[in-house]
Order: sequence, then C-alpha cells, then structure tokens
Amino acid sequence: MITPRPTGGGGPSGNPRRPQRPLTPRTAFRIAVLGIIAMGMIGVLVVRLWFLQVIGGQAYAQRANDNILRTIVTEAPRGVITDRTGKVVLARNSPSTNIVAYPKELVDDRRKLVMGRLADTLGVTRYSLMVKMKRGEDNYPYQPVVLARDVPDGIAIPVAEKIREFPGVELQDSFVREYPNGTLAAHLLGFTGAISDKQYEDYLARGYNGNERVGKDGVESEYEQYLKGVSGQRRVEVDAFGEQVGREFSTRPPVQGKNLRLTIDMPTQRALEAQLEARVRLSGTARGAAGVALNPNTGEILGIASYPTYDPNAFARQRNGLITRYNNDKRTPTLDRAIAAQFPPGSTFKALTATSAMELGILSPTEPIDSPSEIKLYDKVWPNFQKQFHGQITLPTALEVSSDTFFYRVGRRFYEQREGQQSEWAQKFGIGLPTRIDLPGELPGRVPTPQWKVNHFKDLYPTLAVWLPGDEINMTVGQGFVETNPLQMAIAYAAIANGGKILTPVVGREITDQSGRVVRKIASARPARDIGIPARILTPVREGLKLAATGGNGTAWGVFAPVLGAGGPQVAGKTGTAETAPGQPDHAWFVGYAPADNPEIVVAVVVEKGGTGATNAAPAVCHTIAAYEPTHFDGDLCGTPTVEKSN
Amino acid sequence: MGERVRSALLSLDWILILAVGLLLVFSVHVIDAATVNDVPGSPNFFTDRQVLFTIGAVIGGIMLAAFDITRLQGMSWVLLGGLLGALAVVFVLGTTVKGANAWIDVGPFNLQPSEMGKVVMILVLSALAVERMAEITARRTTLFLVAVAAAPAAVVFLQPDLGTALVYGAILTAVLFLAGAPWTHFATAAAVVVGALVLVLGILPASGVHVLQDYQVERLTAFVNGDRDSGKAGYQLDQSKTAIGSGGAVGKGPEEATQTINDFLPEHHTDFIFAVIAEMYGFAGAAGVLLLFGIILWRILRLTARAATQFEQIVAGAIGAMIMFQLFQNVGMNVGIMPITGIPLPFVSYGGSHTVTNVAAIGILLSIHRRRAGL
Repeated sequence: MITPRPTGGGGPSGNPRRPQRPLTPRTAFRIAVLGIIAMGMIGVLVVRLWFLQVIGGQAYAQRANDNILRTIVTEAPRGVITDRTGKVVLARNSPSTNIVAYPKELVDDRRKLVMGRLADTLGVTRYSLMVKMKRGEDNYPYQPVVLARDVPDGIAIPVAEKIREFPGVELQDSFVREYPNGTLAAHLLGFTGAISDKQYEDYLARGYNGNERVGKDGVESEYEQYLKGVSGQRRVEVDAFGEQVGREFSTRPPVQGKNLRLTIDMPTQRALEAQLEARVRLSGTARGAAGVALNPNTGEILGIASYPTYDPNAFARQRNGLITRYNNDKRTPTLDRAIAAQFPPGSTFKALTATSAMELGILSPTEPIDSPSEIKLYDKVWPNFQKQFHGQITLPTALEVSSDTFFYRVGRRFYEQREGQQSEWAQKFGIGLPTRIDLPGELPGRVPTPQWKVNHFKDLYPTLAVWLPGDEINMTVGQGFVETNPLQMAIAYAAIANGGKILTPVVGREITDQSGRVVRKIASARPARDIGIPARILTPVREGLKLAATGGNGTAWGVFAPVLGAGGPQVAGKTGTAETAPGQPDHAWFVGYAPADNPEIVVAVVVEKGGTGATNAAPAVCHTIAAYEPTHFDGDLCGTPTVEKSN
Repeated sequence: MGERVRSALLSLDWILILAVGLLLVFSVHVIDAATVNDVPGSPNFFTDRQVLFTIGAVIGGIMLAAFDITRLQGMSWVLLGGLLGALAVVFVLGTTVKGANAWIDVGPFNLQPSEMGKVVMILVLSALAVERMAEITARRTTLFLVAVAAAPAAVVFLQPDLGTALVYGAILTAVLFLAGAPWTHFATAAAVVVGALVLVLGILPASGVHVLQDYQVERLTAFVNGDRDSGKAGYQLDQSKTAIGSGGAVGKGPEEATQTINDFLPEHHTDFIFAVIAEMYGFAGAAGVLLLFGIILWRILRLTARAATQFEQIVAGAIGAMIMFQLFQNVGMNVGIMPITGIPLPFVSYGGSHTVTNVAAIGILLSIHRRRAGL
C-alpha cells in the first residue's frame, strides 16, 4: 500500500508556488481507470448510435414518417332512394359530425388518458372507446376510428375548442341518413346502422373499414352495394398534437353512392298504409296488419306495408329511447308482417284449391255439388261458416258465397285420388316458398305435406305423425297447417289474373348514378315461371272471384258493388276469415285484382286478429285499388258491410 | 503587459477551450433549429435566452480561470453552508417546473441552486478529502465524506430531482476514488446501492411504502421494458429513439427533422437535445459531439495528472467525472440504455443554471491548468 504524500499540510497557506507534481503512482493508476471508463462509455454510446441510426435507420425513418402522416378520411354520402317516378325522396343524407381518433397517434397510456377524457365528454365508458380503438388499430391502423357518430353541437363544439386536450382526436364532417317522410314505407326502406360485431369480419372482407354505417334492413340493406359511397382520403402532415402543418401528400375525393329508384307508387303506398292503420283501429281487436299491392303483369311492387310501424330515423340517428320502446313493444312494430309473418290464408286459399282440383281432374266447373250447412266426412262433422246452407251449387257460386262444405267435399276427392297432390299444387302457386323478393328477412310460410307432417310430429306427438283426410280437407279452405303472407297470396292471385305466370316480386326498379344514367335495370330482369293453367280452368275461377266481389250473394258485395255501380272498375277477389286459436279473433283477409278482365293491380291485405275478411280487409283493398292511377276511382265509393253475410 | 498577456494566453488549454467552444456554439444553433415552432410568434425565444446564458457563462468562466482556485480550499464549511442555505430557500419558496421544486425566480430568469451545487460540492469534498489525507484509507474518513455529500444530495432528492442527486453521488465517488479511498469501500458502497435499489424499487412498493414518486419509478424502469414502452416516459423514449434512428447516417437536416419540429420529441431543447442532433445531423453529427466530449475528457484527465496540488488534482478529476457521468446518463437516456432522469447534456442542453455551472467548471479547470506542474 502506497501512503499518499500530504501536500500542503491540509491548508491553502502551505501551498508552495510551484510544487512538485502531487501525482502518486496510485493516483496515476486511478486516473487511467477513469480514462478507460470514459472511453468505454463513449464507445458504448457510439456502438448504440450505430445500431439505431445506421442499422435501424430505415425502420425508424418509417416510424418518423408514420408520426407525421395522417390519413384523413372524408365519408361519402349514400345514394338517394326515391319512389318509381324518381321525384319523391324516401331516403337522403343530412350533414352531421363524427368524433374520430387515430389509433397510431394514441398508444398505451396516452390512449387511456385521451379516451378517458373523451368518454367523460361523450357520456360513455372508456372501455367501449378502447375496444373500438383496438379493433380499428388491428385492421386499419392509419385510418381514423369513428368513436361517436352524429354528435350534437353541445358536445362537438366544446371538443373542437379544447382539441389540444384531445391529441389524436378529430372532428369529422359526415352524413346521417334521413327519412324525410318518417314512418312512410319504413319496413320497405329499412335503415342504416353500425356494423354489428357479428358481421364485422364479413364487411371487412368486402372492403369496408368497419366505421361505416351500413344498410341494416329493407332496401337499405338489400342494395347496400350500390347505395354505399366510397370514402375520400387525404394524406397530410401533422404535428404531435394532430394539427395540420402544411404539406398535403395525396388527395382522393369522396364519391357518393348510386341512387335507387323503387317500383313503389306513392298514392298506392300511402293509401295502403292509411288503410292498414284504419282497419286495425276500427276492428278493435287487431294486433297488426299487412298488405301488398303489385302489378300482376310485371311483379313490380306498387305498395307494401306493415302495421304497426316505426320511424327509421330513430335507428339512423340512434335515438336509443325510441329504439328500446320499439323493441319492447309487444305488437312488434319492426316486424315486416307483409313478408315475415305467417298466417293461415283462410278462404282466400279456395281460389287455389279450385284451380288445383280442376287441374287434377277431380272437379268440373259445371258440376253441381251439394253444400249443406254441415257434412259428415270420415266420421267427423264439418260445418259451414255460420251454418249457412247453399244447396246444389257449381264452382263459381261456391267462390261467390265462400261455401266451406263444397270445398270439404273437394278435399275428400284430393285425399282419395292421391294424398299430398293438393300440397304440390299449392307450392306451384308459390305458397310455402320464398318469393325471392329483393328484401331481406322474408319467411317462406308453410304448405304441409304428408312427409312434413310425419317429420314434424314424430318426436313430439308420434300419434299425430300421420297424414289424415282432415289435413287435406282443412287445407282446401286455407286452414290447418298452411301458413302464408300477403306477398305470397298476391303473387298467387297475380298468376290467376295474368294467365298462370308466377312472378318474382320486385321493389327495386333501377340503379342510377349521380348524373342520372341508369347503371342497372332491376325490375325488368326478374324471372317468371309459367305453371300452365288453361283458360277452361281460369275462366270459372275468375268468374267466381268476380261474383265474390260484386255478385248479389258475393261475400264482399257490400264493399265492391257500389264501386262497379258507379262506373268504377270491376274488382275480382276473395275474402278470408282465418280461424286462429279457439276464442281468439279471426284473421281478416282479402286478396283481389282489378280491373277483372284486364288486371293492372293485385292487392292482398291481412288484418291480424281483425275479424271477418269482408268487413275488415276488403275495404282496405278497395281503397288501395282506388288510389292507383290506372284503376283510379273515388275511394268513398268503397262500401262498408255492416252485416256479415259470409266468410 | 504584453508579456503577461502572452504568457497568460499560452498557459491556457486551447484544445479544451476549442472543444467546449464548438459545443457551445453548436448548442445555440441546435436550440435555434429545434425551437422554431415552440413559442408562437417568437421563434427565437429560446435562442436569444441561450445566447445570453452562454455569454454570462463564458464571462463567469473567464473570471474563474483568472482566479486562484486554491484560495477556496479553506472555505469548505462556508461554501457547504451557503449551498445548504440556498437549497433550503428553494425548498420553501421555490418554483415547481415539471414536477420538481428546484428553481428560484430571479426577475425574468429562474435559478437552480442545485446545479451550482455540483461545482460547490466538488470544491468542498475535495478540500475536506485533502484535509483528511493522512487517514484517507480509514473507514470513518469515507463515512465522513459520504455524510457531507448526503446532506445536500438528500435535499435535492426531495425536491424531487433524482438526476442531480445522482450527479452529487458521482462527484462523491470520484473524489473518494481520486483521494485514494480503498477499493473495499467502493465494493461495500456498491453493495449498499444495489441493496437500496432492490428495496426502493421492489420490496417497499410491494409492501405499500413508496419512496419514489410514481413518475420517477416509471422513468427509471421505462428503458428496461420492450420496444414500445408504456406511459409518458415510454412515449418519450420511443419518440427519442425514433428521432435518433430516423436521422440515419448523415441526418435529415434541421428543416426535415419532423420528430423535433413537429413536436413529437418532448423536451427537445433540454433533456433530449442529443436526439435532436442525431435526427438533424445523423450518426456523423451525434458521433462528432461524442468525439468533442472525448477530447474534453482527454484534456481534463491529462490536466488531472498534471495538477499542481492534490486539491486541484482531485477537483479536476471530479469535474471530469461529473461531465462524464452527465454525458453518459443524458446520452444513454436519449438512446434508451439508461433510465430517464432529468439530467441536461453539458454545454449543449438549453438552460442557464447548468450552462453557467458547467462553463464555470471549465473555468476552474483553466485556472488549474495555468498553475499546472510541468511534466
């Protein structure tokens, strides 16, 4: 151990002017150690710099570019939806403000902090915003994530003023879907809404970024691919607070979606909706109603409606209180009864039964059949409606007075010739099968077949798992297991009216671009299927339907005879009063077309638990036909039967 | 007269002066380029102030160079008392900047006594070590010097300014090392420090006692986490590495240094100025700055070996250690290999107190150089 030499004796006064060097070997060694440490430290720093800058330079340069590059997305308006004339706007866009955030500019704690502030401002949970950010980041990290849509000024303005407290957050000019006529054609139009979690991946695969509002129901959903616009993009330079600092690198303007022109005829649609509402109200017992008016030669839907209805603006503008009310309403206002409810068709089915029976050669139009107040078939008594007695009648009269016992006898013939044949013919008319209308959510209904019955009951009630004569007999009058909707009945009656063509119904007429050029014709390109009904069969059926509407003993005479009497069009059609559960009110039906000899319109209406067809459904059909231009007459001519003559 | 001036000029270490001078001038340029957007409407706000600080610092440095530094050797307790007094005033009346209560407002400027304290601590500890040179290997001598350094360091730590407290620790270590304290003492001290770290960062927080503020723990541990770290410290570090890395070999130039001028890099004129240099001038510029520091340290250690008295020797060596520690800590934090503690880069970062202090240290070195022994 080297003992240090005390220099200066511990005080400044002892310092010599030019001392000997105080450097001892130990100190010299320790200074050398310091030198080595210094070289080591600088060496480590230089090596680290080499790795960061020379080896990792490219990657970090990319990161630095990512920092300053912001992709601003400008959302495009959707296409406009109009009626068949193109003049009445049914869906359009109104300007609104979104709050968006850029996931790449908000990472980790910074994101938590900003999302926390934003959640407080918006009155939502931070977690919900974090989930949206994560999902956006995983898919389109450089695009803004829409955190809130259609933000009221009361929130947007304070955020804009304090935007520095929300780095990485931006207000985005956007659009919200607007349905200027409120509830008008609500079920047909549908509405737009956020992409659901379930559909998220699906939409992403189709080129969406996940932020868009998409069509959720009705034609908004069906024609989404045309209606949706293409967002615009701008790439700009920003600073750390997200403020634009000058340079702009690329610009792509937004492109509005294509316009959709529907086949809907506004007077018809309005009349149909007004009538459904009126019938439900007048009946006192009805839960809802639905109706379809279509052109029997083309399948174009002129009017389609379901009651009760809803305001699609509630969904488009996220009015949660109203949405909850709709969802909790026992009358199911959002259900489209015209295509998605399933009712027994009742006596409206008899026109199809008669056609099938004649096609199968088990019924002749001139053959008189005894129609007493009740008959006994297979050890069971089958009564007529209200125990009415009709005597010996032929087919047209059976339709006119809507005799049940007449058709029960026909039912027995179906069964005895070959069971299940009646079902096959019902399906030929399109009953129990989807019509393939261009609307989402259509339900097929049901035509029971022997095979269906076995499958349906073999586990539940094995003793019932057998096709019985009663099934065949019940079906002749549209009861039993058969279930359908107004759309299917309108298509079936259109086939009677047009000579046997089963049409594919259509609500979309054409797609046009913003300059008005037709991009795609929809209505003129729908398939039709001819089921081959010869005139000798059609003529007596049509005759029977005319009599039912306007004949002296016709079930709907009280409604349509005054129209004919005043010079209005001859209507042909059939009432239906479909039994539901015992003790429950019947479903009221009417399906008809006009003018009877040169049909321009078919209308089918069902009033759910609305009573008899003549009283509660036929007037709705009458008023709807009255509103349509080609068959126009004064709707006040439509009579209202006060006495129920028949079903 | 001419002869005296000539010999005075000849007695200066011009290489050291040149290296420090280059750094000071470069500093003004980088601060100017980095802060153009920082104060709306006044792009030269920080530049003008830094020029003033530098001029003041150089004047102070020249005065100290002309002063016989050994005359302070007997005033240890006065200096220490003065430092503790100033720190106490700050503690009571000070201004809080970025979480640390370390500044006293003086007119338009605010002074940071803990910065000046670095040089004071070097002088005080060196003088006390020299006084006790006869028993420098004794354990109580080491403990005594630790105790002297601990008082101001504790106050600074409580401000809380962990970085400066660590510099005090580095100064103490350097003084003990150059004075000749035995290796066993350093080994023991190292063991104590490691133990304390484990206790403060690991065991005590786990049992609910928080010695460090949350932000301090986060800064200290951010650099050991992965590439994309969490929290504000992690964000700073991430942006710093991005700035440095994106500079590449030769840099993007001041106009295109978007990390800096678009404000992604926080504290770009103070703690993270090295990242600014690296972004603007690339590996060439950053390594050039390190080369200048290498020259400065070489000149200081050379002088340490040549000092006229042991007091001056320890002072010179401790100044070298102080600059070395600050350099490594600051640049290490910029490049992500050291924890984030608010230590400025000597001669380069914006700031009055630390510029004055570090240039003062150079003045002291020049004073020692004038009186150096010949080889």
